[in-house]
Amino acid sequence: MTGRRRGHLRRCLVVVLVSSGLGACVEAPTEPLDDPGASSVVTFEAPDLAAESLRRRAQEVTVRIRSLGCDQLGLGSGFVLPGGVVVTNRHVLIQPRTVTVNSWDGRSLAADVSGVAIDSDLAILRLESSEGLEVAELRSEPIEAGETIHAIGYPDGGPVTVSSGTVLGVVDGSLLGEPADVIRIDATIRPGNSGGPLLDDEGRVVGVVFALETGRGTGLAVPVATLLERLDEAELEVPAGC
Amino acid sequence: MNDAEGPGATPGAFEPRGPEVRHVRRWPWVLTSLTAVALALGSGAVAYEQRGVAAEWRERSETLQTQRDAGIERELLLIEQREQLTRLVRSSEEDVAGLEDRLRALADEKAQAEDTATTVQVERDVFSEVTGRIVAATDALDGCVERLFELQTASVDAFNRSTAGEPVDVAPLNATAAQVTASCNEARNAAANAGAAADRLLAP
Repeated sequence: MTGRRRGHLRRCLVVVLVSSGLGACVEAPTEPLDDPGASSVVTFEAPDLAAESLRRRAQEVTVRIRSLGCDQLGLGSGFVLPGGVVVTNRHVLIQPRTVTVNSWDGRSLAADVSGVAIDSDLAILRLESSEGLEVAELRSEPIEAGETIHAIGYPDGGPVTVSSGTVLGVVDGSLLGEPADVIRIDATIRPGNSGGPLLDDEGRVVGVVFALETGRGTGLAVPVATLLERLDEAELEVPAGC
Repeated sequence: MNDAEGPGATPGAFEPRGPEVRHVRRWPWVLTSLTAVALALGSGAVAYEQRGVAAEWRERSETLQTQRDAGIERELLLIEQREQLTRLVRSSEEDVAGLEDRLRALADEKAQAEDTATTVQVERDVFSEVTGRIVAATDALDGCVERLFELQTASVDAFNRSTAGEPVDVAPLNATAAQVTASCNEARNAAANAGAAADRLLAP
């Protein structure tokens, strides 16, 4: 046998062996088939739910205040804090005899006046029962000019309204009988909004609406920092009676 | 190679070396043939086996295709169900929003009705006070009128006796007159109080 023939033979053998080996490597499928439905992920575009909306939550934490005084009826707004505490304005409660809180869903709840702030237009009520009421979240960070805010309330004793605007800045509160700077906003404020919450875009309370600057048409709100200081009942006094 | 020229070769002598050479040249062919046969047999066996494997792969391919078709059909069904659910959720959400709006409207009406009831209650209290004061004024006026009649009767009696020449003691008459004045002043004050209460009721 010549060397050329021998080499050819070797190549043939290698080819045959490799082909056989490869052929022998291909095995029958043994893995179970997966259910294609299980791996089929369908993107779901859920509709916007009212339950998640800021507007709805804002309306739920805002209450309507009715204060029967010695010879007049006071109407205003307020908001609920944990523990059945309701915050409103001092000027809503003038010589209060009976105070009633109306929730968004039609409940009428009796409230006691814990006290009114000595040096600020704030008043604290305590509900006899606050079961099922949504409570507001207070924002600890100070508000800044240009931020979007929402004033919630029951103007003129009518339906609840949400008035949106921006923070214009802060005003020296001493001119308005307040112990600290107050927030000036361009949201529409009307009588009856008094005591209502001023919310940021995340639904947290940043202030308590208390006045309307008639000349400028802007609203004023007591900052949460002042409210937190006045929530201590030592800073409150019992309102005058008849 | 030329064997005649090899080392140790004798001219004319013949040394039969063919079979040895033939043996050396034949065994690779035999080995190759055997190997080829073995490989052919092996390849045949492998080919036979691979036919089965190919059939199984084909079957698997067909199964996968069937499953893919079923999957596509199922996906389409799921998409349709999802869209249906989305429509239902939207509809339900609209219903809830509508009911909440209605609830709020009713709550507002209730609150305003309570405002009115409270106002009416205040007005009722004021009316009760005014009514009480009017009743007091009326009673005082009745007393005043009654005492005026008594004074009138006593005065006429005294006048008749004086005309008949009988002695007349005017002290009791003066006392009665003083009582009448006091009683009528009380009635006047009661009427003024009632008027003030009525004015408060009518005040805006």
